[in-house]
Amino acid sequence: MRKAFPVEDLARDGRFVRVPLAERFDDPRTARVEQGAGKNKRGPGRLTPDRPDAPDAARALMHGIFVGEIQALEGAGRTCWDFEVGSGNGEGIAEVPFELKLDMARQCWDEARHCEISIKLSAHMGTELGEFSENTFLYEAACNPDPVLRLTGVNRALEGLAIDVFNTMREFGDIAGDPVLEFCEDWMLADEVTHVKMGSDWLRKLTANDKPRQERALEFQRVVDKLFSLGGFRGEEEDSPVRLARRFRELAGFEEAEMDTLAEIAKEAREEMEARVEANRAAVAS
Amino acid sequence: MPVEVRPDTFSMVFFDAAEVRAIVEKLVAEVGLPADLSVTIEIDETTPMGRARVTSFDPVVIKAESGALEDVKAPRKLSADGTTDVIGKLLLSVRDRRDPNFGDPPAEDDLTLQESVAWEVYCVGRLGRLGHQVQRQRRLYQFRNRHGFTDAADAAFDKLWTADQLTWADISAISQTALAALPV
Repeated sequence: MRKAFPVEDLARDGRFVRVPLAERFDDPRTARVEQGAGKNKRGPGRLTPDRPDAPDAARALMHGIFVGEIQALEGAGRTCWDFEVGSGNGEGIAEVPFELKLDMARQCWDEARHCEISIKLSAHMGTELGEFSENTFLYEAACNPDPVLRLTGVNRALEGLAIDVFNTMREFGDIAGDPVLEFCEDWMLADEVTHVKMGSDWLRKLTANDKPRQERALEFQRVVDKLFSLGGFRGEEEDSPVRLARRFRELAGFEEAEMDTLAEIAKEAREEMEARVEANRAAVAS
Repeated sequence: MPVEVRPDTFSMVFFDAAEVRAIVEKLVAEVGLPADLSVTIEIDETTPMGRARVTSFDPVVIKAESGALEDVKAPRKLSADGTTDVIGKLLLSVRDRRDPNFGDPPAEDDLTLQESVAWEVYCVGRLGRLGHQVQRQRRLYQFRNRHGFTDAADAAFDKLWTADQLTWADISAISQTALAALPV
């Protein structure tokens, strides 16, 4: 079986349609509309049930979670296979300790269960599988050839995003009085905290004597974090649909300073997205 | 039949005004609105958000953000089914408002989320019976979000979904019945 499986070859049936990130980035439209004399911006707003479009926004987010779970399963599965067993301490970066593979196998089990839960939640919310487009940047982050960077990008950045998203959805279910959504998200959230903690623990263990590698891993995490802030979709601005779940991130091994940095990264991502939209608009107008 | 789509050409999305017009003309006839009724669809292509609402009933003016008519699997492209779903339900609500037997519902901006969703369920149920593709479970989820995840809410939904001749008083009463069953 080949190693480092390319994203183009991931198995999907005809219901699934992929939309590259670049296509989203080329969109000249903006979700934040200037309105009123004070030039306030009306954005999608925090994802709470009082938003008129809340049920449909929750459906779309749930579908994003579902395809994310598939890719997380695929990524953790690849990490079980792609590396030889060894010390993984930097002497040969393609090696990982057997215990790391066990953690990834456990994560595969969790992600497979999350896929099943997500399918049932989608049915509960009236969403067909493949109803929304899929982008594959989660799996792409799971293709890094250095296992430490891979775990940092996937388990700390992406599973960290999952903590924020699941916490938002859990609160959504609670406020909406939807016991099915609240219960499922709470259980998946608990797993995600464990996955992030695995990433935090392995990062520390494998780079304890290799600070440059640790710094490369944290830099990779920052890149993935910015990409996954999705132009301010996740952040601490008043109208960010998904907020940073600081308490759960703390349980997963994040330092307060790291979370402050992440909030800054999310803000930067939002500003860059707004600048990109302006540039796209100017290009359309010219 | 005077159906107008504004703008007539698009620069930010890949919509075809003629395609939108054809969909709306077909719907106007299907839902039973007068053939000479002026209908204007104003599309705001500057935002991907998905709001759509009726801003005037005679002549009919519907303002829609481009996300409301967009294919969720193909950014910036029109979804014929999505357009039918969104415009169809709004045209059915226009027909209700123009029907003297329907009663006197509050103005759009004065409808509560619960009232708005209950009416929408009644409209989409009828749209499905006209032969269009509709998502029953999606509408049930919307209704439950506004009326509670209870057996009473599900029963109220079924009444709205299967009905063809409700008045505003009926819709309002069905909504209230579901809300009254919410646990305190």
